[in-house]
Amino acid sequence: MKSHYNISARGAAGGSMSLFGHIDIVTLMLYVALVLVGWLSITSASFDSESAEIFSFSHNYMKQLMWIGISSVVAVVLLLIDRRYFHMFAYPAYVVGILLLLACLALGREVNGAKAWFEFGGIRVQPVEFAKIATALMMARVMSSYSFNIKRFSDLVKVAAVILIPLAIIVKQNDTGSGLVLGSFLFVMYREGLSKYIYFPAIFTVFLFIVSFIFKPETIFLTLLVLFAGYTLLKTGAWKEHVQFISIVLLAIMLLSSFTPLSGYAAIMIVCSIAAVVLVWMAIKSRALMLLWPILMYVYAMLFVPTCDFLFTKLEPHQQNRILTFVGMKSDPTGIDYNVNQSLIAIGSGDLLGKGFLQGTQIRYDYVPEKHTDFIFCTVGEEWGFLGALVVVALYISLILRLMRMGERIGEPFGRVYCYSVAAILLFHVWVNIGMTIGLMPVMGIPLPLMSYGGSSLVAFTILIMIAIRLDASTTDDNIYSL
Amino acid sequence: MNQVQKGYRRYLQLRGVVLLVAIVLLGRLFYVQIIEDKYDDMATANIIRRPEIEYPMRGEVLDRNGEYLVRNRVCYDVMVVTSNIPKSGFDTLRLAHILEITPERLASQLKKARRAPRAPFLITGYLSQEAKLIFDEGNFEGFYTRFRTAREYPRKIGGNLLGYVSEVTEEQVKKWEYYKPGDYIGVGGVESAYETLLRGEKGVSYRIYDTHGALKGSYFDGELDVLPVKGSQLVSTIDGRLQEFAEELMVGKVGAVVAIEPSTGEILVMVSSPTYNPDLMVGRQRNNNYAAMLHDQRNPQFNRAVKAKYPPGSTFKLVQGLIGLQEGVLRPSDRHPCSMGYSYGGRKMKCHEHRSPVDLRDAVATSCNAYFCYVFKDIITNPKYGSVRSGVERWNEYVESFGFGRKLDSDFYGEGKGFVPTPEYYDRKYNGRWNYGSVLSCAIGQGEMGCTPLQMANLAAIVANRGYYYPPHIIKHIEGQDSIDARFYERHYTLVDSINFVPIVEGMWRSVNVWGTSGGARLEGWNVCGKTGTAENPNGKDHSTFLSFAPKDNPRIAISVYVEHGGFGSAIAVPIASLIEELYLTDTITRPQLIERVKEFTPNYAYYEKMQRRHDAERAKKSN
Repeated sequence: MKSHYNISARGAAGGSMSLFGHIDIVTLMLYVALVLVGWLSITSASFDSESAEIFSFSHNYMKQLMWIGISSVVAVVLLLIDRRYFHMFAYPAYVVGILLLLACLALGREVNGAKAWFEFGGIRVQPVEFAKIATALMMARVMSSYSFNIKRFSDLVKVAAVILIPLAIIVKQNDTGSGLVLGSFLFVMYREGLSKYIYFPAIFTVFLFIVSFIFKPETIFLTLLVLFAGYTLLKTGAWKEHVQFISIVLLAIMLLSSFTPLSGYAAIMIVCSIAAVVLVWMAIKSRALMLLWPILMYVYAMLFVPTCDFLFTKLEPHQQNRILTFVGMKSDPTGIDYNVNQSLIAIGSGDLLGKGFLQGTQIRYDYVPEKHTDFIFCTVGEEWGFLGALVVVALYISLILRLMRMGERIGEPFGRVYCYSVAAILLFHVWVNIGMTIGLMPVMGIPLPLMSYGGSSLVAFTILIMIAIRLDASTTDDNIYSL
Repeated sequence: MNQVQKGYRRYLQLRGVVLLVAIVLLGRLFYVQIIEDKYDDMATANIIRRPEIEYPMRGEVLDRNGEYLVRNRVCYDVMVVTSNIPKSGFDTLRLAHILEITPERLASQLKKARRAPRAPFLITGYLSQEAKLIFDEGNFEGFYTRFRTAREYPRKIGGNLLGYVSEVTEEQVKKWEYYKPGDYIGVGGVESAYETLLRGEKGVSYRIYDTHGALKGSYFDGELDVLPVKGSQLVSTIDGRLQEFAEELMVGKVGAVVAIEPSTGEILVMVSSPTYNPDLMVGRQRNNNYAAMLHDQRNPQFNRAVKAKYPPGSTFKLVQGLIGLQEGVLRPSDRHPCSMGYSYGGRKMKCHEHRSPVDLRDAVATSCNAYFCYVFKDIITNPKYGSVRSGVERWNEYVESFGFGRKLDSDFYGEGKGFVPTPEYYDRKYNGRWNYGSVLSCAIGQGEMGCTPLQMANLAAIVANRGYYYPPHIIKHIEGQDSIDARFYERHYTLVDSINFVPIVEGMWRSVNVWGTSGGARLEGWNVCGKTGTAENPNGKDHSTFLSFAPKDNPRIAISVYVEHGGFGSAIAVPIASLIEELYLTDTITRPQLIERVKEFTPNYAYYEKMQRRHDAERAKKSN
């Protein structure tokens, strides 16, 4: 089976002692580049020109420098560890990770409403960062086990359990944002052959969920009806029938709402339900089974949207507010919206080339909240402009693609699943974090990997990436599983 | 498709997803950073918050001798940006104490300010320098002071004359681009007439603030800042000491005093009584003081000196005589009989008792009503004009050349025109049927005639100059300018030749110095000339008025005094004018008892008191 994975076109290499010779320099350089850019940004965000001692460890950039040093040590140590130990430690690491999360839930410190931190003498550590590593290793271990087949239901349940156990604890910690990171393992599972039919409904459901808050149900049903009619029209080319069908539907809606005491909403619901049944019947009758799945999605939407609306009314008001702010239906100019606005202003005022190192006014004068942690990307956007942002995004995307490529060339499932897991976690973080700073995503307390200020995050991502590099470096060590 | 190919395909698909994420992020970044421009402005607005207006010092006003009539004192506005007030709150009682306002007032101001929490809001103005230092020590976060200057009046004189400074109204902001809400503007008197010179030029500064509101320096190193330019200093024609003296003499009386330097048209004194202390219009009590004045039925805010329409009474006989002489219908030696009045068409214009008949000089000196009825009748029924109507028209032209019935074009906004009846007016009043009898009351400055005290003082100046005047004005020098407006250097001649003034001046001299109604105005060695007036009016006792100038040759002061319901001209107007002339000409006061008598003289203002009672009753009713 190993021989199938011939993407890994790396020549035979020496023994396990010449490790550094096989280290993927590109990945390492990308890592170093991002850490450096991150440190420069933190320096800019926390530099205080009025402070006398610029090298004092009271400054965030000096603290971060210390964390970079610690990370370097961790990196060297990890690169020296034999890959077999990672395979071996997957189970214990996962158990320890879960225990840490539970301990945190019981004994942790609450910051910003999330009970997700341990504090040791002024240093805060977020166990969820390490739970990610443990889960990634565990995923790799489970999915690389002999005769594992993701299409088998029992195996899928195993994988789901690996993800859902930490996820449940993290959500319980009220740290939903970090919990959603684990959702990025869906990315890995797709690579490992999970059916695409699981993804379509999932994406469709998320889409409907968001849309159901923004538009009225009537609008959604009519729009979907027209979309699906348009889709079948393209598939069948039966113009006349489609025009007739749409006309009858619209006419029926108008008649019902005008001449009966029914409201417009009820009229649309009734007519669209009948139309759906007619469509299903016609699809079956005409053996046009390829039309069946869009019709089913339509029926699903008709059931989901009202249910969603109904369930929403059962929520607590503050939960409702959070969801409404999330989908942009409610503005909160002093809270979340204010942060995003200031972030947009900072990045938007960067223009093409930016204002220059230490010259960003919004950063310098504290207009951007959390400017050295979650909103560190604002410093890049404001001081280095679109070009700087482009470089940073390119660095991340290169790193992610590189990790995926490493996963492919490793040629065995443990390394591949692990590399993909790291890539997926990075992708999720980059998308959510940068997306948040430019108003594409809701604000979730998710750091920008390697760049955001914070020791536990930097060390955790260092460990994640270094393990991937280490696994990749010893690809040619064929007999690792034959111990 | 085998396992490997399938895996490779999914690898490619997932790579597509990653690239899609990159494209979406970069697309959005491209839009936010390069296409959308509003964030640049918003970033600037963040750090600058707003261009800060720097208010210039308003120009001061000096009197003709170089002493301050209006000057500036430093004070501070206390501002707040409520969003910068710390959540933990602050010591409101202490702040209220420092600002010298009640805690309730502070609370209500803060409530108003919170409607726009990020906008600066004026809590209170006129904080003294000492209070500002204490305020600064308190370090109240969210509050700050703004440098301002306030007007100050060392002599506390000339309320109506100088005007005051007030916040601009919404209409004014709409009308003139220069003004922004919260700016100040001159109202009335000199402040209003010379607003554009006094206000200076506003400066603007752009400063950088951090998100906590702390000042972080100048934007662009201050290159965009504009310094304010102080308003021009004005030198007034007013003699401060004389003005104060005249105001003191007028206390308790309703009326006006205007004195002019005939050789220049410079106004030496301009009193409108009752006046008010201009300091009342500055500071926190301003609104209360203003309201109190609004309810005073004697209307201290009304500048009687330039706006009132008073019947000129006998002082107008001077004009009548001059026109008669010019028209050739009167010779100085002409005598007319007077038997306690002048009878016409079954009616009689009454006169007081004096010897009869009299010639022109004695008619002026004794103020004979009958004599000037003859003169006026001769003017308007002059056969060369064919009709009374044309006669009145010609008479109108003369009267207008003396500055009556029109604005004198002084440097006062809101200068009144007075009123001189015209044939058209009589047509309307009498339905087109009128004769000389209908207009005869004009002969002695009664009836429909209305003049401002400024016009009357100007008449005194005209007679003093023997036939011309310079438009009266109140500012003689503007800082940074060589001259004032050209119109003030222009002589305006009346239609009466200089030679014809001789007998009139002679009569006025005799009235004071030999025998007549103005004897009280006599000043040894100064050859004072004068003409009294006692104007009938429907609201009570006659108005007392007096026109005078001195000395007779090369006159230095021309004056008009008008005291409502003061009785005979000689009763109160003459002594007031005489005391002012004496102080001006001799720099001394020799008649302290007369001053006491004048000050104690209070006419009977039953009319005003009745109005006041009615007004107060109505207010009381309304407030219930």
